[in-house]
Order: sequence, then structure tokens, then C-alpha cells
Amino acid sequence: MNRTPLLQLQGLRVRYGNVLALQGLDLTVHEGELVTLLGSNGAGKSSTLRAISALVPTEGQILWRGGSLGGVPPHRIVRLGIGHCPEGRRVISRQSVLANLELGAWLRRDQAGIRHDLERCFDLFPRLAERRHQLAGSLSGGEQQMLAIARALMGRPTLLMLDEPSLGLAPRLVAEVMQVLKALHREGLTLLLVEQNANAALAIADRAYVLISGRVAQEGPASALRDDEQLRAAYLGG
Amino acid sequence: MIEALLQTLLNGAASGGVYALVALGYTLVFSVLGVINFAQGALFSLGGYLTYLLMGGRIGVNGALPGWGLPAGLPFWLALLLAAAGSGLVALLVERVAFAPLRRRGAEPLLALITSLGAGVVLVNLLQILMGAEGYAFPQESGALAGLPEVLMIGGARIRTIQLLLLLVCSAAVVGLSLWLERSRGGQALRAVAEDATTAQLLGINSDAMVRLAFVLSGALAGLGGSLIGMSVSLPGPYFGIGYGLKGLAVLVLGGLGSVPGAIAGGLLMGLAEALVPAEASGWRDALAFAILFAVLLLRPSGLLGRRTVDKV
Repeated sequence: MNRTPLLQLQGLRVRYGNVLALQGLDLTVHEGELVTLLGSNGAGKSSTLRAISALVPTEGQILWRGGSLGGVPPHRIVRLGIGHCPEGRRVISRQSVLANLELGAWLRRDQAGIRHDLERCFDLFPRLAERRHQLAGSLSGGEQQMLAIARALMGRPTLLMLDEPSLGLAPRLVAEVMQVLKALHREGLTLLLVEQNANAALAIADRAYVLISGRVAQEGPASALRDDEQLRAAYLGG
Repeated sequence: MIEALLQTLLNGAASGGVYALVALGYTLVFSVLGVINFAQGALFSLGGYLTYLLMGGRIGVNGALPGWGLPAGLPFWLALLLAAAGSGLVALLVERVAFAPLRRRGAEPLLALITSLGAGVVLVNLLQILMGAEGYAFPQESGALAGLPEVLMIGGARIRTIQLLLLLVCSAAVVGLSLWLERSRGGQALRAVAEDATTAQLLGINSDAMVRLAFVLSGALAGLGGSLIGMSVSLPGPYFGIGYGLKGLAVLVLGGLGSVPGAIAGGLLMGLAEALVPAEASGWRDALAFAILFAVLLLRPSGLLGRRTVDKV
């Protein structure tokens, strides 16, 4: 592929004090792809997403449609079309489900479009529609995860980054969330999915990167990694 | 008897309303930054002096420009609004000078207590240099009460009109602010920043701009309070706001840190309790106020309407 990638990380480094969380990461996401970033705890997956969202200071290059994101503050990154559904859901617990979704559309002014997308979110996650006037903090963990994904979608991102959406969910809910992500991918959304649940992520992804100690240890088509018994045993816990 | 009680209640509600304004100012900043802006009392003073000058009041003999004043005085209402806006802008300056540099360096948030206290001291001293330490009474001739009589008879009770107006303005400010916070897009965003600033940024909300907005609003509330007290009593000197700032702090803790309804309820409770202290024992007012605070905190450490658990990480 020689068209300009949507997102390109070149030699990305992130430092927390003396600890180097990312030690020169190279990663590419093309438009329309579902790319998954795998690895164990502390491998640097979340740091990668936080770096792209400008939440942590970085060294190296982050290119969006070929242009550098250096110096762009977090709230401007969203404006460029990069949605980030953070680790641990982070719903605004003291506001209603509806208010959370409206906040997701903070940067938009197209009332008709917002209403349309709101209905679409309620179609994707019918349980949110039933609970739209409840406080987000009163939802179950699974419902909060759905709300966090729906909220990120309300910003109409070009690229949606998700940080461990399956974390702490019952297997049935994990499958449900993955089905939604697969459907969004089919509709043309570009996704960068950070996961510890490698089986679930590889089942829906186009390509995968495996991170170990802040470096890419392996990358390739998801189908190849799915069949790589050795890799699965070594890094992905079967 | 009834008449005296009515007067007492109104006095209490009026000063309670001013306490609530100050406490709400603290609440706004506390909810977004988790720190107290100790310059709030100085901004209260500033509001009073701005209103005095805008109404055409002249600088006294101990001031920097003795006898200087605006060529024409504005009506009280207009002066009040402009003074609130002015205090809001100075609060923004306080944020830029005393808070923002610490935030950028990722410093311990408690340090902002010292820097904001310093900003407050500077502000009060500037007022003293400019205006002198003497007391001022607001010019009464510039249509202060918009043609209303100075005393109204309500249910047989003689009520000072300014007390009633004070209560009305405080109520309007408090209700308006609460509605804005609860209902408007901007209010929603401010509360989102208050709960989780990082996540708010991931939604495209400019958290820094929301912090600045909180400072402007809190400064405007303080300025409003200072103007109203100046009008209903007088300006006894540049330090008069500090006492209200401390009282507002007590109200803030009494109502529950970070709670908007708590700030309002705490302010009214404090004002009413003080008003019930008989005039001949007025020296005990502050003692009573802080005794109430002490008692409430013994029984409910999180304040009247505070959240029991702090969900800030």
C-alpha cells in the first residue's frame, strides 16, 4: 500500500520518570483497517494510545494523514477525528447516560446529525436507550463500557481507539462488544484496538502488533498470528 | 415581636445569601482544580471598591489620587454588573499568575493555597495604596435604589429596601448559576471537567478554558457580594473582604466541599444563626458561626450535603 497511512508512529518513545514505557515504537494504521495492539500488562499498549491523544509527553513522530501531531493539545486531537475510548470506561458518573452521550458530541454543532447518531447508538446498545436518564455511575460495568464506546462514537471519529474494552466483562458481554466493533469496522470505521484478550481481538482484526516491554515484538496479519501457536503460548497466554 | 422576627430573618437571609455567593465561588474553583482560591476575599473587596468608583465615588485623602473620581456616576445596577465583570477578569489574572504556572509544572496542588493567598495580599494592598485605608459610604444620590424608598413596610415590619434587593440579587445569581451548571451545555462540560478533566479532554473539551471560566465566574460572584455589602453597609477598609472570605470558607466546609446545594444551605444557615444573636451580644457572632461549623463537622465530617466518599483520584 503506498497511499498515505491514516496514522503513523515512528520511533515513538514515552518516559515516566526514569522508566521508558515505549522504546521506539513503529506502527501504521491505514484507513478502514481494524488494527489490534496486543501484549501483557505494562507492555506499553495504553501508553501508545495516551501518546497519540497527547496526554503524555512523547519523543519521536506521530503522523496523522502524513502531518505531524507534535504540539497539538489533547482537545484538538479529537477535533482532527481521533476518538479515544479510555481504559476503565471513565464515564462521567455524576451525569446521565444521555448527558454523557451529548458530551461525546461536544465539538459538533449539527443538531440533526447528533440526534441521528444518538438513535444509532441506542440501536447499537439498546440497554443504553432504556437507561438514558439514569446516572452513568449507576450502570453495570458492561453498560458503562457500552456507554464509553457510544460516547466516543458520538464524536464521529475517523479513527476510534479503544483501550481494553473487554476488561472486566463477562464472556458473553465481551462477545457482544466485539460484535459491535466488527460491525463498525464493516461500516468503514478505522479502529485501533488495544487488548489483553488476544483471542477476542484477533478474531475480528485485520492486522495485529504484539508489544513486549515497549517494543513491537511481532506484527502481521491477524490470521497469521491466530495460527502461530508458539507466539500464543509465549506472549498471549494461549 | 413578629415584626422583629421578620426583620431578623430577612437580615439573616440577606447576609446568608452573600455567604452563599462567596462559598459558591470557592466551590466552582474547588470542583475543577481541587484547591481553594484564597484570593477570593480580596476579590470581594475589589468588587466593593469598583462599584464605589463606578458610582462616581471619590478617592479619599489617604489615597494615591486624593479627590479623584469618575466625571459621572453610573446607576447602582450598572456599576454592580460592571464591578462583577471586573472582579471576574481580575480572578482570571489571579489564575494566570498564581495557579496556571504551578499546574504547568505539575506542582503539588496545595502550593496554590500559598500563591493565591499571596495574590490576595497583593490585591488588598494595591487597593489600600490606591484608595487609602479609610472607610467609604456609597454615593446615595446616583439613583442607588432606582427611585425606591429606603424603607419598605411589609406586614407591619419596617424593612430596609437594600436588604430585600440584596436577597433578590443573591438568589438570582445563585439560581441562575445552578441552572446554568445543571442544564446548559457549558455547565455540563464544566461538571465533566470537575469530575474527570482527562476524560473531558478526550471528548474535545478544552479543560484549561473551563478552569478559566470557573475562575471568572467565582471572581464575579465575589465582586457581586462585595458590592452588595458595600451598598447595604459601607466599605470599612480594603481588608473587609477577607472576613467574608473566611466566613465563606466556613460555609463551604459546613455545606460540604464541592457541593453547590451545600454552599447555598450552609450560607443561609450561617446567616440566619448569626442574625439570631441579639444586638447586644454581636461580638459573639463570629464565635457562634465557627462554633456551628465545629459542631457540624463533629457530627458530619463531610459537611451538611457533602459526599461521604471523595471520588477524585
